[in-house]
Amino acid sequence: MHNSGPSSVAAPVIEVAGLAKEYRVYDKPEGLWASVRGLLHRTSRVVEALRGVNLTVGRGEFVALLGPNGAGKTTFLKLLSGIITPSRGTARVLGHVPWERADDFRRRFALVMGQRNQLWWDLPAAESFRLHKEIYRLDAARFERTRDELVDLLGVKKLVLQPVRELSLGERMKLELVAALLHEPEVLFLDEPTIGLDVVAQHTIHEFLRHVQAERRTTVILTTHYMKDVAALCERVVVITHGDIVHDGPLAEIVDRFTTHKIVTLDLDDPSATARIERCGFPCEVRGPRVVLRIDRQRIADVLPEILRSDGVRDVSVEDVPLEEIVAELFRSGAPERRAVVETAR
Amino acid sequence: MGRYLAIFLTFARACLVRDMTFRANFILESVTSLGWMSMNLAFYMLVFQFTPEIGKGTGWTREPFFAFVATGLIINSIVQAFFMPSAEELTEMVRTGGLDAVLVQPLDAQFLLSMHRVDYSSLANGAVGVGLLAWALARMGHAPPPVAWLLYPLLLLCGVAILYALVIVLAAATIHMGRNQSLYDFWFYMTNFSRYPAEIYAGPWGGPIRALFTFVLPILLVVNVPARVIARPLAGGAWWPVAGVVAAALAALVVSRVVFQRSLAKYRSASS
Amino acid sequence: MSGRLDGGGPLASMRAWWTMLAICLEERLVYRGDFALGTLMRFLPMVTQVFLWTAVFAATSRRDVAGYSRNDIVAYYLLAMLTRAFSSMPGLSTGIARSIRDGSVKKYLVQPVDYVSFLLAARIAHKLVYYAVAILPFGGVFIACRGFFPPPPDATTMSIFVLSLVLSFLLGFFMEATLGMIGFWVLEVSSLVFAYMLVQYLLSGHMFPIDMLAGIPTGLPGTSLADVVRWLPFEYTAYFPAAVWLGKIRGPDLVRALAIEAAWVVVMAIACRVAWKRGTRRYAAFGG
Repeated sequence: MHNSGPSSVAAPVIEVAGLAKEYRVYDKPEGLWASVRGLLHRTSRVVEALRGVNLTVGRGEFVALLGPNGAGKTTFLKLLSGIITPSRGTARVLGHVPWERADDFRRRFALVMGQRNQLWWDLPAAESFRLHKEIYRLDAARFERTRDELVDLLGVKKLVLQPVRELSLGERMKLELVAALLHEPEVLFLDEPTIGLDVVAQHTIHEFLRHVQAERRTTVILTTHYMKDVAALCERVVVITHGDIVHDGPLAEIVDRFTTHKIVTLDLDDPSATARIERCGFPCEVRGPRVVLRIDRQRIADVLPEILRSDGVRDVSVEDVPLEEIVAELFRSGAPERRAVVETAR
Repeated sequence: MGRYLAIFLTFARACLVRDMTFRANFILESVTSLGWMSMNLAFYMLVFQFTPEIGKGTGWTREPFFAFVATGLIINSIVQAFFMPSAEELTEMVRTGGLDAVLVQPLDAQFLLSMHRVDYSSLANGAVGVGLLAWALARMGHAPPPVAWLLYPLLLLCGVAILYALVIVLAAATIHMGRNQSLYDFWFYMTNFSRYPAEIYAGPWGGPIRALFTFVLPILLVVNVPARVIARPLAGGAWWPVAGVVAAALAALVVSRVVFQRSLAKYRSASS
Repeated sequence: MSGRLDGGGPLASMRAWWTMLAICLEERLVYRGDFALGTLMRFLPMVTQVFLWTAVFAATSRRDVAGYSRNDIVAYYLLAMLTRAFSSMPGLSTGIARSIRDGSVKKYLVQPVDYVSFLLAARIAHKLVYYAVAILPFGGVFIACRGFFPPPPDATTMSIFVLSLVLSFLLGFFMEATLGMIGFWVLEVSSLVFAYMLVQYLLSGHMFPIDMLAGIPTGLPGTSLADVVRWLPFEYTAYFPAAVWLGKIRGPDLVRALAIEAAWVVVMAIACRVAWKRGTRRYAAFGG
């Protein structure tokens, strides 16, 4: 299950074995009484967020961590960054056990959470950068050089002196990324960095991350729900569902393994031609003068000429099944059983 | 150490910039705390309409008593300005994930979590406290000896340390209780006992209260010892409270450190 | 949970039912315990006040301060606290101001309900729930402190006490509601609320009996601060009912004070109505 990526020739940057995390959730009944009532007696369940995960990542890899909501992605990132301690298993990041939280370790990585604001809300980002410089003990000259370089790359020079609360979500995210990269981390954890951003901002961030990663050979682990991020950035994809890694490999391999079909779209001159196409017997969907067919990848070479020969076909396009669909399929396939749930009371 | 000072100054500077951006709010908050304080002073003045002294033979006549009140104002305003706002924000940080962002930084989490905000408006009370202290000492007719002037700032710091430890323990409790509505309430009810000279806790009920808040939860020492040193020079052989308050401050800091680290460890193992 | 009990037959399900009932009862009790603890904590500031006055009595060897013996002072603080449980309206004015600011007050302009009556009804319900639970800690403290009280007053005084409590509830309600409705004209009422609370803190009598202000001159000949405060609404939300119970106000003074309290209730009720009428008219005209 844990085949290492193509570029992990040297010692791996991240090594994870049998990593598991369980936590207890307390049932919270509704209403005024609830919060106080819970003090002495509350019922709880144990939830397994991660169930013995193995993973090895080499220097300079850009890994996408995919999975449905609640699959354990964020828990995994929190374990790798030492925010929380695991229930079982081992992990080493840059040679350190993350949850020992050595300063030397914490100076060498960064965590960016797309849904959370880490910059001072009422002040210009420049103030937060200055704080960052002190916390990470950055040399003044190097700090300024890195900051200017990052700010230029993202084209946010003008925003640095504006109070963060006045910025748009996309602008804020760019400044978050600058802050996170100021200390030139060797490992970067990105938790849904493009969530809620428009297409232009997403594109800028892709370009930026690609550039920085290539330049510094940063090891990046990215969680996201946008397949655009994956397609633009990651050569390796790890899929987690229900706390288990169900797939680990190059992006192309997934597409290969899970795309059994091609999507063929036909534009017809004549609506009556629809009937003829339908008779071919492929699963097909009619949308006005347009027909969408799903055709077995092996048979496409045989079938396509035949279809094109029929009258009334004005235009045709052949595409792969969209990545979203493949991944959705993967998410479903990796769900053999529900998470173990234990009822307890305290 | 130098780095922590630099970081603290960065925080202090940022908060000052913010306060100056929302000046009207800042002024309103200063006026609020000054208002409450003057109401309390008015009450004490009323009390002295009926008596020359608080407690028989205790020496807490009007001027020493106001020196006591001033000492309390100074200590409380320091705690309110530098530690309370961060502690009050902690539960919110747990809820929004801000705590996670703190834990990945190469810095002591307790330092960051207890000092990242400064509320300058609370210092207004402290300024009035200094003025009140000067007034009271000038009217007392006998200047405190030099040793009192030396000890006073140290004892103020010890008082601040004890209250800081209490804030930290309360904040740690809210990390896993998940609510902090009660933090301020609890703070208020506890420190309430430190507002008056310890001598008033006398008699069959007062004795145990005085012992409890001196030896178990040493909040009675916070204001009493420094106020005593500056306003009512210690008689010979009465030095043990000074040593006691230093020891209590150190012990309180250690205990609060242990409690806070434990609740962070619990947070790390109990959340996902 | 049901999965584990399936095989046990009727006996097991009986046991499960019994356990659930026990848990429910236990939970109620736990809730009460915690609430009671919170209410008991509210008596703590009073404890220090009592020690302070005890020290004052010790220093002066007086028998009384402004007509209050030390026991009277303890009883006074307890009764003033009881009155505050009726007259204080936590969150009322800020709640009204907030609903004006964020526009949620609109729904009362549309719906066929009278906002003021609605608020009053809600507040009465709120208070009743509070008393149902707070009666335990209050009762406990009063019984424990019964030695401080003078013999209970006669039936007439007692009924005037109850009447003054009810009026203090209404007075507190209409004052705070009116304060909140100033939000129609002023966007941020928090500074007003603050000023109100400051005055209330000092002049309502929950820090000290208002009789203690009798010796403070006001500059007007023959008029003490207590004489002025008597004509203001504040002392009727804490001091007055306590003083009635302790027999500090009697005869014509009592009748006059009760009349002043009733008059303030009427005045504030009218002010509240007028503020609502004018405020909503203004709101409709200028939009929210």
